[in-house]
Amino acid sequence: MEIREKENRQVKVKVSHLTKKFGDLLVLNDISFDVEKGDLLCVVGPTGCGKTTFLNSLTKIYDVTSGEILLDGHPADPKKDHIAYIFQGNSTMPWLTVEQNVAFGLDIRHVPKREKQELTDRYLEIVGLTKYRRYYPKQLSASMLQRVSIARAFATEPELLLMDEPYGQLDIELRFKLEDELVRLWEMTGTTVIFITHNIEEAVYLGEHIMVLTNKPTTVKETMRNPLPRPRDIAAPEFVRLRERVTDLIRWW
Amino acid sequence: MNKKQKNITELICAVVSILTFLILWHIGVKGELGRLMPGPLPVIRMFFATLFGGTIGSRTMIIHILYSLIRVMAGYFLGAAVGVVLGLSMGWSRLVEAVFSPLFRIIRPIPPIAWIPISIIWIGLGEDAKIFLIFLASFCYVTLNAWSGAKNVDPDYLRAARMLGAGKRQLLFTIVLPASIPSIFAGLQVALSSCWATVLAAEMVRSSEGLGWIIIAGMNNNDMVQIMTGILAIGLVGMLLSMIFRKVEARLCQWNKSGS
Ligand SMILES: Nc1ncnc2c1ncn2[C@@H]1O[C@H](COP(=O)(O)OP(=O)(O)OP(=O)(O)O)[C@@H](O)[C@H]1O
Ligand SMILES: [Mg+2]
Repeated sequence: MEIREKENRQVKVKVSHLTKKFGDLLVLNDISFDVEKGDLLCVVGPTGCGKTTFLNSLTKIYDVTSGEILLDGHPADPKKDHIAYIFQGNSTMPWLTVEQNVAFGLDIRHVPKREKQELTDRYLEIVGLTKYRRYYPKQLSASMLQRVSIARAFATEPELLLMDEPYGQLDIELRFKLEDELVRLWEMTGTTVIFITHNIEEAVYLGEHIMVLTNKPTTVKETMRNPLPRPRDIAAPEFVRLRERVTDLIRWW
Repeated sequence: MNKKQKNITELICAVVSILTFLILWHIGVKGELGRLMPGPLPVIRMFFATLFGGTIGSRTMIIHILYSLIRVMAGYFLGAAVGVVLGLSMGWSRLVEAVFSPLFRIIRPIPPIAWIPISIIWIGLGEDAKIFLIFLASFCYVTLNAWSGAKNVDPDYLRAARMLGAGKRQLLFTIVLPASIPSIFAGLQVALSSCWATVLAAEMVRSSEGLGWIIIAGMNNNDMVQIMTGILAIGLVGMLLSMIFRKVEARLCQWNKSGS
C-alpha cells in the first residue's frame, strides 16, 4: 500500500480547461482534473451530460473545442499508447468469431501466437464465454456481446482502460463477478482505469476516486477519495454511508 | 430431423413442378403448335445424345459448354479481381474516388453488349474481345458493390479497431475488406448472370462453338430441336453456376446469416 501511494503521484491523464461544444450546444464547460497513474476513477453523472463525449475527446474520436487532455504529458495516440476503450454500445466485429474478436487487439499488435492463445483463453474463461468461442456475434445476446468487448479490452492488458457503462446490460451475478475481475486486473497490473457508470453502488464498490458531474453545461461537482479497504462489503455501514453521500450529491442535480 | 423433412418436401415439390411443366409442354405441342415447337422428349434426347457422344456442329455438347464456361470464367474472375481492388480503393481513398468515379459513372450504364459492334470492327470479336466484353460485365457490378461496401462500413468498427491500435493498412485489411464482403458477393452474383448473358450474346454474333453458337446455328438450319436443346443447356449450366455460387457464399459469409 505504502509503495503504491508513492508511485501514484505520477499523473496519467491531465485534463485542463476542457471545453466541448456541438454547434451551439455547450456540453463540457471548462473542466480540469488529473487522473493519477494507477487510479481507478469512477465517473457518475446525469444522462447526456457528456461522459461519453469526454472519453471520445480523450481518445481523439472527437476534436475538443478548447483546452487539452494529455496522456503521460502528450496528446493521446491510440496507435502508440496502450489504451483500451470499451464502448457503451456493441462494437464486436460480426465477421469474427467470439474467439477471434477477443484476439483482435492482440492480432493488431502482433502478439506472438502462443501468448495470444493464452491471453485469449484466459479472458474467454473469465467472462464465461469459453463454450461460445466459435460462435459469431449474431448468435449472441446483448450481454454476451458486451462480455466479448470486455474480454477483448482486458486481453490487451492496457495501460489505460476506459469503460463506458460497461456492465449496464449484465445481470447482477455477472456484474458482481466482472466488477471483482476488474479490481483483480487493476490490482495485478497497476493499469489506470476510468470507469463510467450510472450505478452509484457500483461506483462506490469499484472506485479509488469517485467523480460526480453536474448537468449540462457540465462541470465537475465533486471528486472524492474512497478510503474503504478492499475487498469491500456493500452492506458495511461505512460503505452505505459513502453511497448515501454520493447519492445526496446526485440529488442536487 | 426437421431439416431433413423440409429438404424432402422441397425436393418433392421441385420434381412435381418440373414434371408438370414437362407434361404440359408435351401435351401442348400435340396439336397445331407442334409444327413450330418440338416436344420435350426430342429435346431431352438430343441433349443427352450429344452430351458426350454425338455432336452439334463438330463438337459434343460438353465441349460447347466448356467453351462458353471458360470464356465466362476468364472474364468474370479478371473483372472481379480488378473490380474488388478498384471498388475498395474508391471507397477507402477520397483521391482514388475523385479520379475514377466520374469515368466509372459513365461507363457503368452501358450494357456490355453495346460494345459488340465496336469489338467486331476493331478486333473481329475473337477470344480476347469476348473475354473483354465479359470482363466489362463483371467489372462494373463488382466495382460498384465493393465501392459502396467500403464506403458504408460501420464507423463503429473502424473506431473500435483504431482504439485497439490499428494503423491505416490494418484498418483496410482487417475491417474494410471483411465488412464489405457481403456487398461484394451481391455484386459477384449479379455479375455472374450478367457475364453468362454476355457470353451468349457474343457467341451468337460471332463464334464457331459455344452455347450461343448452338442456338444461332439451330436458327440458321431451321432446327428447332437444336435451339431448344441449346436453351435447355443454358438454363442447366446457369442454374449449376448459381448453385455453386451460393455454396461458396454460404461458406464465406457464414457470419452474416441470421440463425441456422
Ligand atoms: N456527435 C455528436 N453530435 C452532436 N451532439 C452530440 C454528439 N455526441 C453527443 N452529443 C450531445 O452531447 C451531449 C452529451 O452526450 P454524451 O453521449 O457524451 O452523454 P453521456 O453523458 O454519455 O450520456 P449517457 O449517460 O446517456 O450515455 C448530449 O446532449 C448529446 O446529444
Ligand atoms: Mg454515454
